[in-house]
Amino acid sequence: MTNNIKLRAEIRRYDPAVDQAPRYETYEVEGKDNWRVLDVIRSIYENQAGDLAYQFACRVGRCGTCAVKVNGVPVLACQERCKSEMRIEPLTPFPVLRDLVIDRTEVESRYEHYALAPQRKTEHQGRAEPIEPDLAETLCRMDSCLACMVCVAGCPAVESRAFDGPAFMLKLRYMAKHPADTRNRIEQAIDGGMLECYGCDMCTQLCPADLSPAQAIREFRLEMILGGGKHE
Amino acid sequence: MSKLALPRNTTRQAEAILYGDLARRLHRVSGVIIILFVLVHVIVQAVNHVPMFGVAKAAAPWLQPLQEQIWIHAILLFAVVFHTLHGLKLLAGELGFSIDYKASFWIVAVVSMLFAIREGLRYAGV
Repeated sequence: MTNNIKLRAEIRRYDPAVDQAPRYETYEVEGKDNWRVLDVIRSIYENQAGDLAYQFACRVGRCGTCAVKVNGVPVLACQERCKSEMRIEPLTPFPVLRDLVIDRTEVESRYEHYALAPQRKTEHQGRAEPIEPDLAETLCRMDSCLACMVCVAGCPAVESRAFDGPAFMLKLRYMAKHPADTRNRIEQAIDGGMLECYGCDMCTQLCPADLSPAQAIREFRLEMILGGGKHE
Repeated sequence: MSKLALPRNTTRQAEAILYGDLARRLHRVSGVIIILFVLVHVIVQAVNHVPMFGVAKAAAPWLQPLQEQIWIHAILLFAVVFHTLHGLKLLAGELGFSIDYKASFWIVAVVSMLFAIREGLRYAGV
Protein backbone atom coordinates (compact mmCIF):
# COMPACT_ATOMS: atom_id res chain seq x y z
CA MET A 1 0.00 0.00 0.00
CA THR A 2 1.32 3.42 -0.87
CA ASN A 3 0.68 6.66 0.96
CA ASN A 4 0.69 10.21 -0.29
CA ILE A 5 3.53 12.27 1.13
CA LYS A 6 4.89 15.77 0.81
CA LEU A 7 8.47 15.97 -0.35
CA ARG A 8 10.92 18.81 -0.29
CA ALA A 9 13.70 18.57 -2.85
CA GLU A 10 16.56 20.99 -3.07
CA ILE A 11 18.16 20.75 -6.50
CA ARG A 12 21.47 22.20 -7.58
CA ARG A 13 20.79 24.32 -10.63
CA TYR A 14 23.59 25.51 -12.84
CA ASP A 15 23.85 26.43 -16.47
CA PRO A 16 27.47 27.41 -17.22
CA ALA A 17 26.33 29.40 -20.25
CA VAL A 18 24.05 31.64 -18.19
CA ASP A 19 24.81 31.37 -14.47
CA GLN A 20 27.82 32.82 -12.73
CA ALA A 21 27.65 30.25 -9.95
CA PRO A 22 25.51 27.24 -8.99
CA ARG A 23 22.42 27.83 -6.88
CA TYR A 24 20.03 25.58 -4.99
CA GLU A 25 16.31 25.73 -5.72
CA THR A 26 13.76 24.15 -3.43
CA TYR A 27 10.68 22.38 -4.77
CA GLU A 28 7.68 21.05 -2.85
CA VAL A 29 6.30 17.88 -4.40
CA GLU A 30 3.17 15.85 -3.66
CA GLY A 31 4.24 12.26 -4.18
CA LYS A 32 3.91 8.67 -3.04
CA ASP A 33 6.13 7.11 -0.41
CA ASN A 34 7.30 4.42 -2.83
CA TRP A 35 8.55 6.95 -5.37
CA ARG A 36 12.17 6.84 -6.43
CA VAL A 37 14.32 9.94 -6.59
CA LEU A 38 13.95 9.87 -10.38
CA ASP A 39 10.16 10.06 -10.03
CA VAL A 40 10.55 13.19 -7.92
CA ILE A 41 12.91 14.77 -10.46
CA ARG A 42 10.52 13.93 -13.30
CA SER A 43 7.59 15.37 -11.39
CA ILE A 44 9.52 18.60 -10.79
CA TYR A 45 10.46 18.73 -14.47
CA GLU A 46 6.87 18.12 -15.62
CA ASN A 47 5.08 20.40 -13.17
CA GLN A 48 7.43 23.04 -11.82
CA ALA A 49 10.70 23.45 -13.68
CA GLY A 50 10.49 22.63 -17.37
CA ASP A 51 14.05 23.83 -17.86
CA LEU A 52 15.54 21.34 -15.40
CA ALA A 53 18.23 19.25 -17.10
CA TYR A 54 18.54 15.62 -15.99
CA GLN A 55 19.01 12.31 -17.73
CA PHE A 56 17.87 8.72 -17.48
CA ALA A 57 17.38 5.77 -19.77
CA CYS A 58 16.48 2.32 -18.45
CA ARG A 59 14.80 3.15 -15.11
CA VAL A 60 15.70 -0.30 -13.77
CA GLY A 61 19.22 0.31 -12.51
CA ARG A 62 21.05 -1.25 -15.44
CA CYS A 63 22.32 1.71 -17.46
CA GLY A 64 23.80 4.02 -14.81
CA THR A 65 22.71 7.15 -16.67
CA CYS A 66 20.63 8.67 -13.88
CA ALA A 67 23.37 8.67 -11.20
CA VAL A 68 23.17 11.72 -8.93
CA LYS A 69 24.11 12.63 -5.38
CA VAL A 70 21.29 12.49 -2.84
CA ASN A 71 22.10 14.13 0.49
CA GLY A 72 25.77 13.87 -0.44
CA VAL A 73 25.72 10.16 -1.29
CA PRO A 74 26.06 9.04 -4.91
CA VAL A 75 23.16 6.81 -5.95
CA LEU A 76 21.16 5.74 -8.98
CA ALA A 77 18.13 8.04 -9.00
CA CYS A 78 15.93 5.31 -10.47
CA GLN A 79 16.70 2.94 -7.56
CA GLU A 80 16.94 5.20 -4.54
CA ARG A 81 13.74 5.72 -2.57
CA CYS A 82 12.68 9.33 -2.19
CA LYS A 83 13.08 11.01 1.18
CA SER A 84 10.93 13.73 2.67
CA GLU A 85 13.93 16.07 2.61
CA MET A 86 16.45 15.69 -0.19
CA ARG A 87 19.32 17.62 -1.62
CA ILE A 88 19.94 16.44 -5.18
CA GLU A 89 23.20 17.30 -6.88
CA PRO A 90 25.13 16.15 -9.94
CA LEU A 91 27.97 13.66 -9.46
CA THR A 92 31.34 15.08 -8.47
CA PRO A 93 34.13 15.66 -9.50
CA PHE A 94 32.89 15.84 -13.06
CA PRO A 95 32.22 19.07 -14.93
CA VAL A 96 28.54 19.94 -15.14
CA LEU A 97 26.91 20.44 -18.53
CA ARG A 98 23.70 21.70 -16.95
CA ASP A 99 21.87 21.09 -13.66
CA LEU A 100 22.09 17.34 -12.97
CA VAL A 101 23.81 16.38 -16.21
CA ILE A 102 27.55 15.81 -16.06
CA ASP A 103 30.04 15.95 -18.90
CA ARG A 104 31.33 12.39 -19.44
CA THR A 105 33.92 13.35 -22.06
CA GLU A 106 36.80 12.86 -19.63
CA VAL A 107 35.38 9.52 -18.48
CA GLU A 108 35.15 8.24 -22.04
CA SER A 109 38.62 9.52 -22.90
CA ARG A 110 40.07 7.70 -19.88
CA TYR A 111 38.40 4.47 -20.93
CA GLU A 112 39.85 4.99 -24.39
CA HIS A 113 43.28 5.81 -22.97
CA TYR A 114 43.34 2.51 -21.05
CA ALA A 115 42.64 0.56 -24.28
CA LEU A 116 40.16 -1.79 -22.62
CA ALA A 117 40.07 -4.46 -25.29
CA PRO A 118 42.40 -7.48 -25.25
CA GLN A 119 45.80 -6.41 -26.54
CA ARG A 120 47.09 -9.50 -28.34
CA LYS A 121 50.62 -10.35 -29.31
CA THR A 122 49.43 -12.23 -32.37
CA GLU A 123 46.39 -11.62 -34.50
CA HIS A 124 43.10 -13.26 -33.51
CA GLN A 125 42.75 -16.63 -35.22
CA GLY A 126 39.14 -16.07 -36.09
CA ARG A 127 37.79 -18.93 -34.03
CA ALA A 128 36.38 -19.14 -30.52
CA GLU A 129 38.94 -19.27 -27.73
CA PRO A 130 37.77 -21.46 -24.86
CA ILE A 131 37.97 -19.91 -21.36
CA GLU A 132 37.84 -21.91 -18.15
CA PRO A 133 34.21 -21.71 -16.87
CA ASP A 134 35.11 -20.26 -13.45
CA LEU A 135 37.23 -17.57 -15.03
CA ALA A 136 34.53 -16.88 -17.61
CA GLU A 137 32.01 -16.38 -14.81
CA THR A 138 34.35 -14.02 -12.95
CA LEU A 139 35.06 -12.04 -16.11
CA CYS A 140 31.38 -11.88 -17.00
CA ARG A 141 30.61 -10.55 -13.56
CA MET A 142 33.41 -7.99 -13.57
CA ASP A 143 32.22 -6.81 -16.97
CA SER A 144 28.79 -6.00 -15.54
CA CYS A 145 30.08 -2.61 -14.37
CA LEU A 146 27.55 0.04 -15.40
CA ALA A 147 30.19 2.78 -15.70
CA CYS A 148 27.74 4.94 -13.75
CA MET A 149 30.64 6.64 -11.91
CA VAL A 150 28.88 6.27 -8.54
CA CYS A 151 32.06 4.71 -7.13
CA VAL A 152 34.23 7.52 -8.50
CA ALA A 153 31.92 10.16 -7.02
CA GLY A 154 31.95 8.41 -3.62
CA CYS A 155 35.68 7.71 -3.48
CA PRO A 156 37.50 9.89 -0.92
CA ALA A 157 40.84 9.25 -2.68
CA VAL A 158 39.55 10.66 -5.98
CA GLU A 159 38.51 13.78 -4.10
CA SER A 160 41.90 14.45 -2.54
CA ARG A 161 44.56 12.59 -4.51
CA ALA A 162 45.74 11.91 -8.07
CA PHE A 163 43.56 8.83 -8.54
CA ASP A 164 41.46 8.14 -11.64
CA GLY A 165 38.91 6.18 -9.64
CA PRO A 166 37.74 2.68 -8.71
CA ALA A 167 35.70 2.08 -11.89
CA PHE A 168 38.81 2.31 -14.06
CA MET A 169 40.81 0.03 -11.76
CA LEU A 170 38.04 -2.58 -11.97
CA LYS A 171 38.17 -2.48 -15.76
CA LEU A 172 41.96 -2.76 -15.72
CA ARG A 173 41.72 -5.76 -13.38
CA TYR A 174 39.19 -7.31 -15.75
CA MET A 175 41.69 -6.92 -18.58
CA ALA A 176 44.54 -8.25 -16.40
CA LYS A 177 42.49 -11.40 -15.80
CA HIS A 178 41.46 -11.77 -19.44
CA PRO A 179 43.45 -14.65 -20.97
CA ALA A 180 43.76 -13.00 -24.37
CA ASP A 181 45.19 -9.75 -23.02
CA THR A 182 48.99 -9.40 -22.90
CA ARG A 183 49.40 -5.76 -21.88
CA ASN A 184 50.93 -4.85 -18.52
CA ARG A 185 47.82 -3.66 -16.73
CA ILE A 186 49.50 -3.20 -13.32
CA GLU A 187 51.64 -0.48 -14.83
CA GLN A 188 48.52 1.23 -16.19
CA ALA A 189 46.79 0.90 -12.81
CA ILE A 190 49.78 2.46 -11.03
CA ASP A 191 49.81 5.30 -13.56
CA GLY A 192 46.11 5.75 -12.88
CA GLY A 193 46.82 6.24 -9.17
CA MET A 194 45.98 2.78 -7.83
CA LEU A 195 48.43 3.23 -4.95
CA GLU A 196 46.47 6.27 -3.75
CA CYS A 197 43.45 4.10 -2.84
CA TYR A 198 42.65 4.24 0.91
CA GLY A 199 41.23 0.72 0.92
CA CYS A 200 38.06 2.03 2.57
CA ASP A 201 35.66 -0.03 0.40
CA MET A 202 33.32 2.90 -0.19
CA CYS A 203 33.19 1.83 -3.82
CA THR A 204 32.15 -1.69 -2.76
CA GLN A 205 29.38 -0.34 -0.58
CA LEU A 206 28.05 2.12 -3.18
CA CYS A 207 28.36 0.04 -6.38
CA PRO A 208 24.84 -0.49 -7.80
CA ALA A 209 26.04 -3.61 -9.64
CA ASP A 210 27.37 -5.14 -6.41
CA LEU A 211 30.95 -5.24 -7.66
CA SER A 212 34.06 -4.59 -5.61
CA PRO A 213 36.58 -2.32 -7.30
CA ALA A 214 38.42 -2.22 -3.94
CA GLN A 215 39.00 -5.96 -4.17
CA ALA A 216 40.30 -5.51 -7.73
CA ILE A 217 42.77 -2.94 -6.38
CA ARG A 218 43.77 -5.31 -3.53
CA GLU A 219 44.45 -8.06 -6.07
CA PHE A 220 46.60 -5.69 -8.13
CA ARG A 221 48.54 -4.65 -5.03
CA LEU A 222 49.11 -8.22 -3.94
CA GLU A 223 50.35 -9.06 -7.41
CA MET A 224 52.64 -6.06 -7.23
CA ILE A 225 54.09 -7.16 -3.86
CA LEU A 226 54.34 -10.90 -4.42
CA GLY A 227 54.42 -11.12 -8.19
CA GLY A 228 52.45 -13.76 -10.04
CA GLY A 229 50.91 -11.57 -12.71
CA LYS A 230 50.93 -12.36 -16.41
CA HIS A 231 53.97 -10.20 -16.98
CA GLU A 232 56.41 -11.76 -14.52
CA MET B 1 33.54 -10.52 -4.77
CA SER B 2 30.06 -11.95 -4.48
CA LYS B 3 28.94 -14.38 -7.15
CA LEU B 4 25.35 -13.18 -7.06
CA ALA B 5 24.17 -12.39 -10.54
CA LEU B 6 21.71 -9.65 -9.67
CA PRO B 7 22.45 -6.27 -8.17
CA ARG B 8 21.56 -5.94 -4.51
CA ASN B 9 18.82 -3.75 -3.17
CA THR B 10 20.05 -0.19 -3.50
CA THR B 11 16.87 1.58 -2.57
CA ARG B 12 18.05 3.24 0.64
CA GLN B 13 21.68 3.88 -0.06
CA ALA B 14 21.64 7.57 0.85
CA GLU B 15 20.44 6.70 4.38
CA ALA B 16 23.07 4.04 5.02
CA ILE B 17 26.07 4.41 7.29
CA LEU B 18 29.09 4.81 5.04
CA TYR B 19 31.25 2.33 6.92
CA GLY B 20 34.41 2.78 4.87
CA ASP B 21 34.38 6.54 5.19
CA LEU B 22 33.60 6.38 8.89
CA ALA B 23 36.41 3.89 9.51
CA ARG B 24 38.85 5.99 7.48
CA ARG B 25 37.98 9.15 9.40
CA LEU B 26 38.15 7.37 12.77
CA HIS B 27 41.53 5.94 11.79
CA ARG B 28 42.82 9.44 11.13
CA VAL B 29 41.28 10.97 14.24
CA SER B 30 42.60 8.13 16.42
CA GLY B 31 46.09 8.69 14.98
CA VAL B 32 45.90 12.37 15.88
CA ILE B 33 44.66 11.52 19.40
CA ILE B 34 47.61 9.16 19.94
CA ILE B 35 50.11 11.78 18.78
CA LEU B 36 48.53 14.48 20.96
CA PHE B 37 48.48 12.24 24.04
CA VAL B 38 52.12 11.20 23.55
CA LEU B 39 53.02 14.88 23.23
CA VAL B 40 51.16 15.82 26.44
CA HIS B 41 52.61 12.78 28.21
CA VAL B 42 56.19 13.70 27.27
CA ILE B 43 55.63 17.29 28.43
CA VAL B 44 54.12 16.15 31.75
CA GLN B 45 56.97 13.72 32.38
CA ALA B 46 59.50 16.41 31.55
CA VAL B 47 57.80 18.87 33.90
CA ASN B 48 57.67 16.26 36.67
CA HIS B 49 61.17 14.88 36.41
CA VAL B 50 63.46 17.41 34.74
CA PRO B 51 64.47 20.16 37.21
CA MET B 52 64.94 22.60 34.34
CA PHE B 53 61.19 22.51 33.68
CA GLY B 54 60.26 22.90 37.33
CA VAL B 55 58.98 26.41 36.68
CA ALA B 56 56.40 25.04 34.24
CA LYS B 57 55.03 22.77 36.96
CA ALA B 58 54.01 25.77 38.99
CA ALA B 59 52.83 27.71 35.94
CA ALA B 60 50.62 24.92 34.61
CA PRO B 61 49.29 22.95 37.58
CA TRP B 62 46.51 21.52 35.38
CA LEU B 63 48.99 19.50 33.29
CA GLN B 64 49.34 16.57 35.69
CA PRO B 65 45.59 16.17 36.43
CA LEU B 66 44.90 16.48 32.71
CA GLN B 67 46.58 13.21 31.88
CA GLU B 68 44.99 11.47 34.82
CA GLN B 69 41.42 12.01 33.62
CA ILE B 70 39.55 8.72 33.27
CA TRP B 71 37.75 9.79 30.09
CA ILE B 72 41.02 10.79 28.46
CA HIS B 73 42.44 7.32 29.15
CA ALA B 74 39.30 5.69 27.83
CA ILE B 75 39.49 7.73 24.62
CA LEU B 76 43.20 7.00 24.34
CA LEU B 77 42.68 3.26 24.69
CA PHE B 78 39.86 3.37 22.13
CA ALA B 79 42.14 5.31 19.76
CA VAL B 80 45.10 2.95 20.22
CA VAL B 81 43.08 -0.22 19.73
CA PHE B 82 41.02 1.15 16.84
CA HIS B 83 44.10 2.49 15.07
CA THR B 84 45.95 -0.80 15.51
CA LEU B 85 43.15 -3.12 14.46
CA HIS B 86 42.01 -1.01 11.53
CA GLY B 87 45.64 -0.67 10.44
CA LEU B 88 46.03 -4.45 10.57
CA LYS B 89 42.85 -4.82 8.53
CA LEU B 90 44.27 -2.49 5.88
CA LEU B 91 47.54 -4.45 5.88
CA ALA B 92 45.63 -7.69 5.44
CA GLY B 93 43.91 -6.05 2.47
CA GLU B 94 47.28 -5.20 0.95
CA LEU B 95 48.13 -8.88 1.23
CA GLY B 96 45.05 -9.77 -0.78
CA PHE B 97 42.69 -10.83 2.01
CA SER B 98 39.15 -9.73 1.33
CA ILE B 99 37.59 -8.59 4.60
CA ASP B 100 33.99 -7.47 4.73
CA TYR B 101 34.00 -3.71 5.32
CA LYS B 102 30.83 -3.69 7.40
CA ALA B 103 31.64 -6.62 9.70
CA SER B 104 35.23 -5.49 10.16
CA PHE B 105 34.12 -1.99 11.11
CA TRP B 106 31.76 -3.22 13.81
CA ILE B 107 34.25 -5.78 15.15
CA VAL B 108 37.04 -3.20 15.37
CA ALA B 109 34.73 -0.57 16.89
CA VAL B 110 33.23 -2.93 19.49
CA VAL B 111 36.61 -4.39 20.52
CA SER B 112 38.03 -0.86 20.83
CA MET B 113 35.04 0.20 22.89
CA LEU B 114 35.46 -2.79 25.23
CA PHE B 115 39.09 -1.82 25.81
CA ALA B 116 38.04 1.78 26.46
CA ILE B 117 35.38 0.70 28.98
CA ARG B 118 37.79 -1.66 30.72
CA GLU B 119 40.40 1.10 30.99
CA GLY B 120 37.81 3.53 32.29
CA LEU B 121 36.69 1.04 34.95
CA ARG B 122 40.29 0.26 35.90
CA TYR B 123 41.04 3.93 36.51
CA ALA B 124 37.80 4.33 38.38
CA GLY B 125 38.90 1.49 40.65
CA VAL B 126 36.08 -0.88 39.68
